[in-house]
Amino acid sequence: MNALTVERTDPRPADLAPMATRREADDLDFGRLYEDNFSLLVAIAVRKFQVPDVDAEALAHEVFLSYLKRKNDIRDLHPWLIGAICHACRYFWRQNGRRTEQLDQELALLRPDPASAGIVDLLPAQLAVREVLEALPPRYQEILRLRYYEGYSIREIADYLGVTAKYTQKLVARCLRRAEQTLNPSPKRKKP
Amino acid sequence: MNHSDDLRHISDCPSCRQRFTENVLPFDAVRRREGAREFLAAAALLERERDGAGDIVERHLRDTPMDEWPRLAESQPLRNNAALEWMSEEVRKRLERNPVEALAIANLAASIAESLLAGTYPAVVLGQIRSTALRDRANALRYLGRLDEAYDSIATAEARLDAFPGAALDRAVVWLVKAMILGQMDLFDDAEAMITAASGIFAEVNDSPRFLQAGLVRGNLLVRQKRYEDAQQVFRDLLSVAISGRDVETQARLQNNLGHCATCLEDYGSASIHFSQAIARFTDLGFTGEVARTERGAGVVLIGKGQIGLGMARLREARQTFAALHMPEEAGLCALRLIEAMVEHGQTDEARALAASVVDEFTAAALDARAIEAVVRLRASLDADGATAEAVRTAHALVQSLTIDQAAAS
Repeated sequence: MNALTVERTDPRPADLAPMATRREADDLDFGRLYEDNFSLLVAIAVRKFQVPDVDAEALAHEVFLSYLKRKNDIRDLHPWLIGAICHACRYFWRQNGRRTEQLDQELALLRPDPASAGIVDLLPAQLAVREVLEALPPRYQEILRLRYYEGYSIREIADYLGVTAKYTQKLVARCLRRAEQTLNPSPKRKKP
Repeated sequence: MNHSDDLRHISDCPSCRQRFTENVLPFDAVRRREGAREFLAAAALLERERDGAGDIVERHLRDTPMDEWPRLAESQPLRNNAALEWMSEEVRKRLERNPVEALAIANLAASIAESLLAGTYPAVVLGQIRSTALRDRANALRYLGRLDEAYDSIATAEARLDAFPGAALDRAVVWLVKAMILGQMDLFDDAEAMITAASGIFAEVNDSPRFLQAGLVRGNLLVRQKRYEDAQQVFRDLLSVAISGRDVETQARLQNNLGHCATCLEDYGSASIHFSQAIARFTDLGFTGEVARTERGAGVVLIGKGQIGLGMARLREARQTFAALHMPEEAGLCALRLIEAMVEHGQTDEARALAASVVDEFTAAALDARAIEAVVRLRASLDADGATAEAVRTAHALVQSLTIDQAAAS
């Protein structure tokens, strides 16, 4: 990794030489801390929480700045940094969610939600789906709910379950197969 | 070892950190250099200010009469983060012994923090500075029982961090103090929600001391709701965390709290074991006040078991220790336990004399007016020969509720 150029902003009178040397060492430590971990925090924000790149960098930077005020309280650096960026990402999304404007009621009537069009016709099918879902084991129910009711991505479900995305994909496919079998149980083959 | 992208694993494994980070993003080099430069400049500024700030704060507070402290807000040497950090420490040190003085310092710190110019520090650091000062103020007000003002102050502290997702730990500590305030306002569900949120962050950033502190607050809230079995479960779960973290002080506190829960559930055998464990640990740590507090619990247990003489002797011993340590509130709580036993055993004259002493002690120490009022009422009913053990317990519960959750979050 490239070493950062450290620019000194404080005056360094000759009679403060030992203090200045210590500060240089501190600067180096802080520089290394930032350099060694910045990319990790951005990677977590982007890969685990799908935060847009520029926002991810801003969040990581903010975590580092907040570290400066709290550094004497921190015992384990990496768990602290990682925990702080995870919280920052969740907070970021909560704030973004809050900024979503409410729909204009009249506009909503003029332009109905396409997802609710023909809901009366679709209702029996939806009830059948619910029935099938309820017949599945709890873990299968949870995975299908996350994927199809709550709209989580495969990667988000993988994070939630603590497994890889590839395995999650297989898991979702297995749940769907099981649901299909529950809906259309195939007749047992008779032995010849 | 199984390598993975699990964040708990990544935090412990340098090679997985490296692998996880690779090939993620092409950074904007200029923006990143600017970020690093801002970080280093802020680090240098904060470290430079920290050199020698303690003496300055101490000198200013020592050389200025307390009623003139507000004017220190204009004093330039105090108008920086390091001085405010020292003031925060001074508030914390004074909360138990002298909350009025703690509030005066907290008010000074809040006034300085709120008037620092934007641009003095990076925005998030300024947010943290302001939030900390307001949180300390809320804590001091909480100690003084001024709960509405405490709530307003903690709500403002929380708002100062609104714009900064990165200030996770600061936010969690604010939530913990808010939970204590809500608990004292008897808003238990809201307090519980705050503690859950704060505990989640403490666990996430691996801050086990604060995680344990939050757990203790949660347990105390359950005790206040008389949910002793739930509180026992909370304290037991925390005990295993404290043991694995080799946190002897918290182990001792938890054993003491478990002893109290067992006492309330009239399981005197378990209570006695927990109190013995607590006394042993506090003695090892040299925490005289805590040993006395636990002795008081053990005294109550002995009385509950019917060993009245022995129990009262332990209560008297604990009361003397508290008095010697200038802890009148705690000494008063011992006295109220003694009065309860005396009333139950017909020793009304002794009970009356002891109640009068407690009134004098509370008044001399200028304790919370509600505590004094409760004991004055008790003494009046003893004088009128109308006091029952239940009346004593009511007075005790009130005085104790004013001392509960006095642990300062920082």
